[in-house]
Amino acid sequence: MPRTPVYIVCSPRPDVGKTLLSRVLSEFLILQNGSVLAFDINLREPSLLDFLPRTTETASIADTHSQIALMDRLIINDGVAKVIDLGLHAFDDFFQLADEIGFMKEAIRRGVEPVVLFIPDATRTSATAWAMLRKTFPGMNLIAIDNEHVLHGETPKNFEGVTPLHIAALPAFLRSIVQRTNFSFTHYLRTAQDSSSELHQWTRANYTKFRNLEKRLKLQE
Amino acid sequence: MAKPAVIVVGADKGGVGKTTVSRTVLDYFTANNIPTRAFDTEAPRGTLKRFHPEVTEIVDVTTTSDQMKIFDTLNTATANVTVIDVRAGLMSPTLAALRDIGFLDAARSGQITFAVFHILGPSIASLDEIAETASFMDGAKYFLVKNFINNTSFFEWDQATYNSYFKRIKNATEITIPKLNEMAYEQVEVSSVPFLKFVANKGPGDETANYSFVLRGYVRHWLGNVWGEFDRIKLTDIVGSKDKGFARPGDE
Repeated sequence: MPRTPVYIVCSPRPDVGKTLLSRVLSEFLILQNGSVLAFDINLREPSLLDFLPRTTETASIADTHSQIALMDRLIINDGVAKVIDLGLHAFDDFFQLADEIGFMKEAIRRGVEPVVLFIPDATRTSATAWAMLRKTFPGMNLIAIDNEHVLHGETPKNFEGVTPLHIAALPAFLRSIVQRTNFSFTHYLRTAQDSSSELHQWTRANYTKFRNLEKRLKLQE
Repeated sequence: MAKPAVIVVGADKGGVGKTTVSRTVLDYFTANNIPTRAFDTEAPRGTLKRFHPEVTEIVDVTTTSDQMKIFDTLNTATANVTVIDVRAGLMSPTLAALRDIGFLDAARSGQITFAVFHILGPSIASLDEIAETASFMDGAKYFLVKNFINNTSFFEWDQATYNSYFKRIKNATEITIPKLNEMAYEQVEVSSVPFLKFVANKGPGDETANYSFVLRGYVRHWLGNVWGEFDRIKLTDIVGSKDKGFARPGDE
């Protein structure tokens, strides 16, 4: 049975595009596989839930009951890809919990493939968090996301030599469109008249990158 | 063959986690392939026996017949290590009985390995217990166990007072048992299995169980820390095993 991926979209910094990336990835997975289960772990303001209410649940790691409700589902190899939109306030606690309960090791043993999509910015907090993840979870799929809107083409400290997954910046007027809660990337791809439009190309490019990422993960199995 | 080893786990105060510590010791020896038998002095209920029924016998350590059952078989039992979980209030009487039957002399002369895990509670009474117990400890390995599993804060202790008690005892060593997540602890209690089986997701009869992955993770992490303490005091060396410890919960 193929491994079930668990994508953890995260950053210890605000406003770096976690929810946007989680949305695009979730919609891609629905298009590709027919299903996805997304978890919105934003302690203060659930947001992925606003965009994808049918496939998203709110989750928490604040107490043991919530931890069980989340982690015991993530560890199941059921063929349904999972996406976690990990809010910055839960960043430290989530990875501390994952380390303490041996999540990564057990996941691999059970045929689940955790993939951390880390969105850095140029701050020291971000560099420290990246270093912590590399040290704590060696051998884990840890992918840096180069969000052009955040990094503006710069390579932040601690990321030299890392090949990131590049997400191009969207012009402000297009961002205002995709930020509407009823906007769907896949629906847009299917219905837009002009396939050469910037948003069409942006969405297609990202879907292609995700497909390549999935292929790479499959090759690793 | 290594000389027999007896480990007494006790405290005069109740509810300080004696049986929990005994369970971690039994799990540690199991993981390190050291044959061990246990005696549970909490007659007739026997909490330790509930978790480790295969190796545990319930005894009344105050009776001569049961004392014979334990100590007259030290050299003939297949298990070289004997763990005695002494129920609340019986620590001092048990040590006195061991002295009276010549067991402590045998330990002093090196015929038997004798270790005491003295579980300390948060009250000042525990410090008085140390002084009382210390008088029996010549020839024994004496471990003072600070048990935080039930979130004990040891609030009543003045460190200087504690140090003054601690320094009176030659070769006493401190062990710290860290706190375990409450829900994980409760789940193991309900499951009535050794910590090791809980981590391995096994039921009492080795059947596959359905324990929460999160709770198992908490127990594995905690048990690893407890065993780290046992490794630190070289518990396997103390009982004369060639095995050097360092097994970890969840190791296949």
